[in-house]
Formats: sequence, structure tokens, C-alpha cells
Amino acid sequence: MNEVVKTREGLTYDPTQDCKLVGAARALGGIKDAVTIVHARPGCHCGVLLLRALGSNQNDIRIVGSGFRAQDMVYGAEGRLAAAIRLSYNNFKPSLIAVLNCSAPAIMGDDVEGVVLSMKEEIPAEIFSLSTGGYEGPAWIGYEETLTELTRFMHNHDKKERDSVNIIGFKMDEIKAYSDLLEIERMLNSQEITVNAVLTNSSFDELKNAPRASLNIVFGGDGLECAKIMQEKFDMPYVVTPYPFGLNNSIEFLECVTKSLNKEINQEFITAEKNRIKERIERIFLFLQGIYDMSVAVIGDGARAFDLAKFLSDELCLNVKVLAITSRNLISRDKNENNGDYFETLLLEPDRFEMDEEIKSKGVEMIFGSSMEKKLAYELGAPLVRISYPVIDEVSISDAAYAGFRGTPHLIEKIVNSVINNYTEV
Amino acid sequence: MIHEEENREAGFLRPLVNAYSTLPLHGITAIPGKISGALMVADAIEDAVPLIHGPIGCSFQRKINPFRPYLPFYETPCTDMNDLEVVYGGEDKLRMGIKETFEKYHPNLIVVITTCASDLIGDDFKAVIEEVKAKGDMDCEVVYTTGDFTEKSKPVGYQDALYAIADQMLCKGMENERTDKNDGSVNIVTFPIHGAGLKVEEMASVLKEMGIEINKVCFDHTRVEDLYDLPKAELTITDYPMAWARLMKKRMDVDYFATVRLEEYRDSRDAELLSPYGIEGSARVFLEIAKRLDKEGEAEDVIERRKKEANERLSEVRKELEGKKVAYTGMGGLHSLEVMLLQDMGMKASVIIYNTRGLERLLSEDAIQEVLDITLEWARKYGSDPEVLVNPTTEGEIKAMKRTETDLAVVSSLTNAVYEFNKEGIRTFNPLDFMLHHQRIGFECPVELAFQLKDALKKPKTRNPLLCMLEYDTCRTNLIPHWAKLADMFAILREGAIGDMDRAAYLK
Repeated sequence: MNEVVKTREGLTYDPTQDCKLVGAARALGGIKDAVTIVHARPGCHCGVLLLRALGSNQNDIRIVGSGFRAQDMVYGAEGRLAAAIRLSYNNFKPSLIAVLNCSAPAIMGDDVEGVVLSMKEEIPAEIFSLSTGGYEGPAWIGYEETLTELTRFMHNHDKKERDSVNIIGFKMDEIKAYSDLLEIERMLNSQEITVNAVLTNSSFDELKNAPRASLNIVFGGDGLECAKIMQEKFDMPYVVTPYPFGLNNSIEFLECVTKSLNKEINQEFITAEKNRIKERIERIFLFLQGIYDMSVAVIGDGARAFDLAKFLSDELCLNVKVLAITSRNLISRDKNENNGDYFETLLLEPDRFEMDEEIKSKGVEMIFGSSMEKKLAYELGAPLVRISYPVIDEVSISDAAYAGFRGTPHLIEKIVNSVINNYTEV
Repeated sequence: MIHEEENREAGFLRPLVNAYSTLPLHGITAIPGKISGALMVADAIEDAVPLIHGPIGCSFQRKINPFRPYLPFYETPCTDMNDLEVVYGGEDKLRMGIKETFEKYHPNLIVVITTCASDLIGDDFKAVIEEVKAKGDMDCEVVYTTGDFTEKSKPVGYQDALYAIADQMLCKGMENERTDKNDGSVNIVTFPIHGAGLKVEEMASVLKEMGIEINKVCFDHTRVEDLYDLPKAELTITDYPMAWARLMKKRMDVDYFATVRLEEYRDSRDAELLSPYGIEGSARVFLEIAKRLDKEGEAEDVIERRKKEANERLSEVRKELEGKKVAYTGMGGLHSLEVMLLQDMGMKASVIIYNTRGLERLLSEDAIQEVLDITLEWARKYGSDPEVLVNPTTEGEIKAMKRTETDLAVVSSLTNAVYEFNKEGIRTFNPLDFMLHHQRIGFECPVELAFQLKDALKKPKTRNPLLCMLEYDTCRTNLIPHWAKLADMFAILREGAIGDMDRAAYLK
């Protein structure tokens, strides 16, 4: 069991997580033929657009603002929203248009539902709206609600496709998302399992047919509510797996999935992958001995940070002094209670000021986090491995994953290089 | 805050800034909200901390600085407003939040930034702040900015936060007080968004030589105590008209002078007033400042000598530039290098490219024509007879440049398909890079430009840019079609008329 669990102390909150709007926008961003309309003052639209544009999907921004202006605070912006829906359809011909109703129009009482209903006659695409006022909750709630909303459009399939799975909780705007997904699919294919739909990295039509699969894989617990509804509505079982960082998580991931599908695991594949990893780490074993027991902090959301910390602690034998879960999900607390022996202090949805103070007091030598930890890393003189959302100062366009068997050497390479590249004096 | 120090600029910061400079954001596909502008102000004051009175998204999302995406706002505490406060009011949370922010960060100034949620529910920010301050248990200034103090002055958040500081802190209760004046001194206040804005050493040196003392330079390691010294100056020099400077004049008798003289241009239509750069532009600015402070006599000698020195240095490089043909995008002088190219370098305008897309929904036809006329008149004034291309295709641009035997295209990837020009053997010079890192008032700037242009004319040719593999929009030639659609939609949806139309009619 870990030493300390801490939550936020004060009333003011320098947040390490975003609001409901961003959670919803992230979920929708992975639907390849959907347009997201941010019905809000310009700052919210600009913020969501920036989050996307500063990542590695600059050719795929389907985020439209409704053009909400100051005068609309008095007269309402329903006309603008209607225009945004129409223009979105005319320009992108999407299968789905999702309207995210943010703080200003939500408080003012814009009849967003009414606009959506009236536009349905004219626009040959599915349209729905979600209430995403910033005051309504954090990003993970928005993410869960959006995936849940998507289940409304799904078709039941009585005959399930054998050994076909959906992946739930996958976010296409994470660093290395594209390459991680390629590796995860490769791993599943090695067990003769195919991927039916990814929530979310699929077309709307593929999502509608998600119930065709025989199992839902829930990464780290994100999207659990959606999986539960799909179980109830479509009689689809689900399994919560770790995010496959490192060797053990990758094996556990495959074991969970194969077991749920009543399949024998392909041990030959795992042995081959193990050998491959062994051969790779042998090439740098002196460095791995050198960084053994290095004190680190891991900062990230509940679906990935627990699993990353476990890999760093169990396999690389780094000393995880602080694990900060910036954004939890429905199983984060269970994860702590059941498995919390691979970190020293756990911070749950901490205030940034308090988190920074805690990390500074622990003699941390390396940080695993997002771009928002750049200043902290600089102040500590510690390398920062950008692995948590949002990463806005690093791109990833190669096929080199962080996840899975193939991702393990790459992640190790990144970690070691971050240490030995870091010496700034010449 | 990262400052662009001369010795680090070429190696590290300049490419970093440039990497983000082509993001088609500001007014093209999106507009940063008021919070970002207000955070720029709070961030520029070393011992100030913002307190965002709103939900977590207004804090977390705004950490990404749209003006400088490479440099987030790391400290953005908020009051974590939730649905309870939206119903019952957030004043208690604000009250406690201010106190807690003081205890946590120990700042000398807390800038309360209101949000859509707190604005709409009608929290009485002023009363809360006065109450907290009246208790006297906080040794700290507190101001609040709503975005409503300065009406249409842009950028709203930036203007409004500075106005709030002037109104609620510097000028408060001072109407009948006499401030100790630092006679004959000026404040130099530049917009920290502009990369080269902080390079005011030469300006300060020229002014000092004229006998004008520098009271304060903002924002350069500025602290709250420095802000309190601002009213001691006789004149505040800003780069653009600023609402807070007007307020300082009204309440504290500190006159102001905007180097880009938009207000005067409106009356006189003298386009020179829009271009404070280059040797003559800088001389005009320095002389005008001197006039305001009755230092014309001293100023004329200083300016003449500095001009002479700069012209001597320039003349050596100018030999290699004079008469060279340049193509450039016309912006009517604002932000533009065109006057320096024509006047200081003696180059000839061969092609003027004018992109009006997006502008058509922001400016009237007359206004667009006015900007075009300014650009064209300048070219003619300095002996050029350029081809004018309005909303051309890239092919059209290349043909015109080849036809006119253009030596150099002064264009950036933010507006043009630079790589296509390079592929066709046309050398380019990036004006955006110059604007972000070098452009400033003073006599050194045109000399720097001359050296850079000379280098650009000798730059090795790039023949097969990978960027040419992509498909671009035929109208917005620097953008792929996807982004061009976003830009077009943004322009339409921001149009003022939409909000004023009857909803029912619109839904038809």
C-alpha cells in the first residue's frame, strides 16, 4: 500500500485537468467524419482549437465555433448556431454534427435543443447537442457523457463477430496515439483478434456498428459508463485492461482480452516479443543500471498514469516518489486501493501549486507528464518526458509507439536519452 | 517570461517562436478570448498573480497562451466555480479565493479575471474586492477585469486589464492629489505580444541624448512598485492607442503618444503616420515626442546626427540592394516593411500581392480599397510601377514575379505558398520573422534589415520543398483546403449581422 494519499486542500484550484467541454471535444475529435461545434464565446473555441492544432493532427481539425459575440449575450446566439450547423454540413459533409453548449449560452438559456431539432429537417446528418458548461464538471465527465451519448446511435447486432473487439477509452490526441494504436492492433492480431471500432478513432458508421463486436476493451477505465450501457443494451461484455505501457502491462492486456474471449493466449508471440525486448535492453544495460532507482514523478490521467507508474517501478525499477492523477475516472480509487504499492505518494486531482510543492520536496530527478510540467521540470533541473495530455510542444508522426511490446524499447530509449541528453553545461 | 536576448536569439528562441508563427489563428480561424489577453498582463508583472473567477476550464484551457503558444501561463488559479455558484452566486468563493491566493502565492497584486459564468450571474466583483481590502489583513493590491471597461479597444482582455490597473490602482482617489513628477521623463510601454517590442534600448538612448529621461520601461521585469511610478512621467509612449493611457491623461495628467498614430490618421489620412519604422519614420516619431516635451531644439541635432550615422552604415549595403525588384504583400503600412524597402533600401516594387479574403467580412469595400491605395501610392511615390495582384493564385503570383524579373519575394508562410516560389527559383525573405524579432523604432533597424536582405539575395536555392507535395487551397494559398474551410466559415460566422437577425427568419 502506498504511503500517502493526498487530495486538494484549498478552495482555489490551479487545475491540472480541463473542463467538461474539452472531455467531450476529445471524444468527438476521434470520430473521423464528425464536426464539433463549440457554441461559446470565442475563448472556448480558440482553446479547444489550439489544443488540437498544437498536437500532431494539424490536417484534421473539425472544430467550428458558432461565432458567438458580445451582443449575443443579450439577444441570444441561436441564429449563429443554426448558421454554424449549416456551414459545417456544407463544407465538410459530416455524418455527425455535435453541438457543445458551453457556459455562456447555457446560462443565458439559448434553446440549443430547439435549434438542433429544427435543423434536422434540413441537414442530412445526425445532429446532437451536449451541455458542456465549464461549471458542470471536469473533462472526464464530458468524455464519459459523450461516449454514452454515442450509444444512442448504435445498432444492435444479434450475431456477434467472433474474436472481434472494440477499444473504448482511446484518445487520438494523446502523444504517440497513432503509433500506439498500430501496435495495439498488431498485438491483438497476433492473437487472431480483430478491431471492430475504436471509441474514438473510427467513422461514425463504424461506431454505429460497434455492437457487432464480441467484446469491449476499456483502457484504464475511461469510457466505462459507455461499456456498461453497451453491455445492458447490446449484451456485450467488457473488460477493463491496463494501458499497455511496458512488458508486463502488455502481457496483462493480452491475457485480459484473450481470457474474456475464451481464447488460448498465443505464448509463442509473447516469448518472441520478450526476447526482442531483452535483446534491445541488453544494448544499453549499463545505462539502465545507471538510472536504477532514480526518483521520478508521474503526472497524468487515471487511465494511463497508474499503468505507466507501475511499469516504471516494477520494470525499470525507478522510484516513483509522486504519482499525481490529474483527472480520475470511475475506477481510479479502486486502482489505488487494490494495487497501490508502486508509488510513494498519490495525489488525486491536485492543485498545481500544491502538486509542484510536493514534487519539489521529494528530490524528484525526472518527471513524466504533460507540457504543463515544463516549468516545474526547469525549476528542478529534471528532464521531462512528455507522455500525458496535453502535449503541445512535441510532435509524433513516426510509427514508433510508446505502448505495447514494440513501444517498450522506444519508451526506454526516450527515458534514457532524456537523462543523458539533459546535461546543459558544456 | 522569456526575453529575446540578442546572443540566444538566433540559436534557440528565434526558431522556437517562428515554429508557432504560422498558426492560422488570430482573426483567421479563431479569436483568443479576453482571459488570454488579461493573463498576458498579469504574466508580464513579475509579482502579480491572476485569479480566474470561473470554472476550471477557464483556467486550464487558458494556460495555453494563444499569443505565444510556446510559453504557457503556468500559474492560473481559479475559484473553481460549479453549478452551485451559478445558481446561488460566486461571491463567497471569490472572497475566500482572493484571501487564499494571497496566502498561497504572496503576490503584490492579484488580478481577478472574470469569466462568462461569473459575468452572467451578476456577481458584484467590485463590492467583494472592496470588502476584502477593507479588512486590511492582506498586504496586496487587488483589481478586477471584466472586458467591459474599454469597449471595442483590442485586444480586449489586454486593454481591459491594463485599464483596470490604472483605474482601480494607479489613479484611484488621485484625481485631486498632486503626484511628484519626474519632469521631462517618459514611460515606454510596449505590447509584450510583439517579439521585438522589448528592444527599446536604442529608443531610450536617443531620447536620453535629447535630454528626455526614461521613467519606466514596461513590460520588462516590471513589478507592482514600477507601476506606481508610471504617473511620475510626463508622457507615456505606447505602440498602439491604449485606453489606460487615455485614462492616465484624464486623471493623472500623464500625456500619451502612440507611435502608430491611428487616431491622427483618421483625421488627416496621412499614411506616413501609420509607419513609425525606418529612418524617416523613426525620426518623425522622435521629433514628435520631443515636441510634446519642448525638446525640439535638442532633438533636431540628435536626430540629424543619428540619421547621418545610420545612413553612412546603410549606404555600404544599400549599393547591393538599390534597384533590386521586390514583390510583397500590401498591408497599407501597418506592421509592414514596405516603406523601409522602398525608402531606406532603394528597392523597387515589382509585384504587390493583395489578399482580401477574410478582410471582406471585417472591413468595408472602401476600407479595403484605402489600404490598397496606400500601398500603391507608396510604391509610386518611390518610383515603382508595380503589378498589382488582388487575390491571385500561386501560379499567378509566380508568373508575375517571373515576368517582372523579381529578385526577391518578401512574403511569409502565414500568407503565401513560399515553398512554391522557392521551387520555381524565386528567393524569399520572411517579413514575419523580421517583424517578430527585429522590427522596432530606431535607426539601427533599417541597417539590420539591409544586411538581412543582402543575405536573402544570396541564399542558396531550395529546389524540392517537401511542403510542395501537399495540396493547397486555391484561394488561401498557404492553407490546405481543410483549414481554408475553417477560415472561410469563421469569417462568415463572426459577421456582425448574424446576431442581429431574427432567429426564426434565420432558421428558414
